[in-house]
Amino acid sequence: MSSVEVKSEVTGSVWKIGCRVGDTVTRDQELVILESMKMEIPVIAPQDGRIKELLVAEGDSIAEDQTIAVVEVG
Amino acid sequence: MSQKTYDDVVSEMECRRAKALAMGGEEKLAKRKAAGYLNARERLAYVLDADSFLETGLFSSSSVVPQDRDRTPADGKITGFGRIDGREIAIVANDFTVKGASSSLTNMKKIGHMKRVATDRGLPLVLLGESSGARMPDNMGAQGMGTLLGNDPTQYLRDRKTPWVSALLGPCYGSSALYACMSDFVVMRKGASMGVSSPRLVAMATGEKLDAEELCGWRLHAEVTGLVDAVVESDEEALDTVRRFLSYMPAHHNEPPPIAAVPAGSEAEAETVGDLLPASRTRGYDARRVIDRVVDRDSMFELKPALGKSAVTALGRIAGRTVGMIANNPMFKGGALDVPACEKITSFLVLCDSYNIPLVMLVDTPGFLIGGEAERQGAPGKIINFMNALQLCTVPKLSVIMRKTYGQAYLNMGGGRNSDEVAAWPTAEVSFMDPRFAVEVVASADADEEERARIEAQMERESAVWGIAGNYGVQYVIRPEETRAWLERMLSVHCTRLRGGVGEHRLATWPTSF
Repeated sequence: MSSVEVKSEVTGSVWKIGCRVGDTVTRDQELVILESMKMEIPVIAPQDGRIKELLVAEGDSIAEDQTIAVVEVG
Repeated sequence: MSQKTYDDVVSEMECRRAKALAMGGEEKLAKRKAAGYLNARERLAYVLDADSFLETGLFSSSSVVPQDRDRTPADGKITGFGRIDGREIAIVANDFTVKGASSSLTNMKKIGHMKRVATDRGLPLVLLGESSGARMPDNMGAQGMGTLLGNDPTQYLRDRKTPWVSALLGPCYGSSALYACMSDFVVMRKGASMGVSSPRLVAMATGEKLDAEELCGWRLHAEVTGLVDAVVESDEEALDTVRRFLSYMPAHHNEPPPIAAVPAGSEAEAETVGDLLPASRTRGYDARRVIDRVVDRDSMFELKPALGKSAVTALGRIAGRTVGMIANNPMFKGGALDVPACEKITSFLVLCDSYNIPLVMLVDTPGFLIGGEAERQGAPGKIINFMNALQLCTVPKLSVIMRKTYGQAYLNMGGGRNSDEVAAWPTAEVSFMDPRFAVEVVASADADEEERARIEAQMERESAVWGIAGNYGVQYVIRPEETRAWLERMLSVHCTRLRGGVGEHRLATWPTSF
């Protein structure tokens, strides 16, 4: 088993969270929606796997490149 | 001394030919084969039309160190003329099995000749890179420097009279790296590296210990530096990509690009483009799918896909004619233009303007991405480089506003007469800034929620396309499914017929990276 960090591509805030720790996720599944520049920006699963850690809460401010979740893969 | 017969001299010639064709020897060639890499002559055979290679300098060798004369076939850089899709091209293939294809006196003369012929006779130049850098000890000492370096004041002059294409197919230091950075298109095979110096020299000079992949591998160039346009898995795929890129290009700057057949079904596919827009104005979608449906079927060829992903730059064809497609991509960063996206677009404008390729901009951006990171990266300078490049372009420019276009980004994406024609879909929103920001600026400090909502609703109504269509800032309002037909007609109207489809190339001497 290895882990992949899912990072924010943009500075903004966490608008909606669509997964929980332990959920099985598939590649390209929307995990979290961020808000930046008045746009909804989906954060998607890079690979099939299971949510190992969720490091943000709705309303949190986040920076570009900040880790949002850790997905266990393989 | 006995007189040589004709048969003797022919036999000697054939013996020398065989030796040259044997490159760096069986052992080195076998090692490459086992690793899955083509050798330089296999690469030439693969990338060129069958039997079209005419080699120049087959019998050349080192002319600096006497003892190298018999062990430097072709002096490590195989040069000549070939054809790709029936068109003549000039080509240089580095032979890493001969002294790491290092640069020395003879092979530099060979490259110089290929560059001159390509430029003076209007041929694309293809560079198959894999080289270790300057040859030692040839370049060492004051005499070496005086002999080898700096004797050609045009060696690194780039004025884009013909397309140059580089494939990075192994360790690329020295000339392979430098010529790649002067090229219009660069494809890199995974596992190759491209940099100023090798990891070994870096470690010796600074103590920094990085392997080639970390120092200057494909990921760095695809995602950070933007010096590479495409990344592929194999030599063969790289060479296919070289051929594909050239299929969009004219042979030289004084002719329009070639015209291709239009694949069946292209029009029908374009009519489904409106299905891609999400219902919510704030949701993203993948603009690459819009491009794919608007251009001729299977003609979309994206450049630098992993860099500045909030913008897409892609070659394509509309009704068989090459076009340069620029799109904001709301799938990434909401389509907000960040510094890498601006730099990517600027380099694409340089490419298209230099080779008479009309530009099509598909617009959906909330603006330039603002913030501390943007300012640290010099965003205002990058925005104005992009803007200046756009205004210098003399190829036809067309814009289609799909959804949002705000503020300065409206101008950068062709609004305000920065395109020859602007069409908008009825879904377009045009204003100085998103109403949800603007309300905070305009509403008085003591305005209540109701008042703010009223102002915002009014601003949203005023952002609809009808205001700008009414004052002719937008010249056409079209349904999404009409986009391809509109572009085809506008490309016909605006083709630069007074100059035979050839632009003024004011960007031809702009750098290849910013």
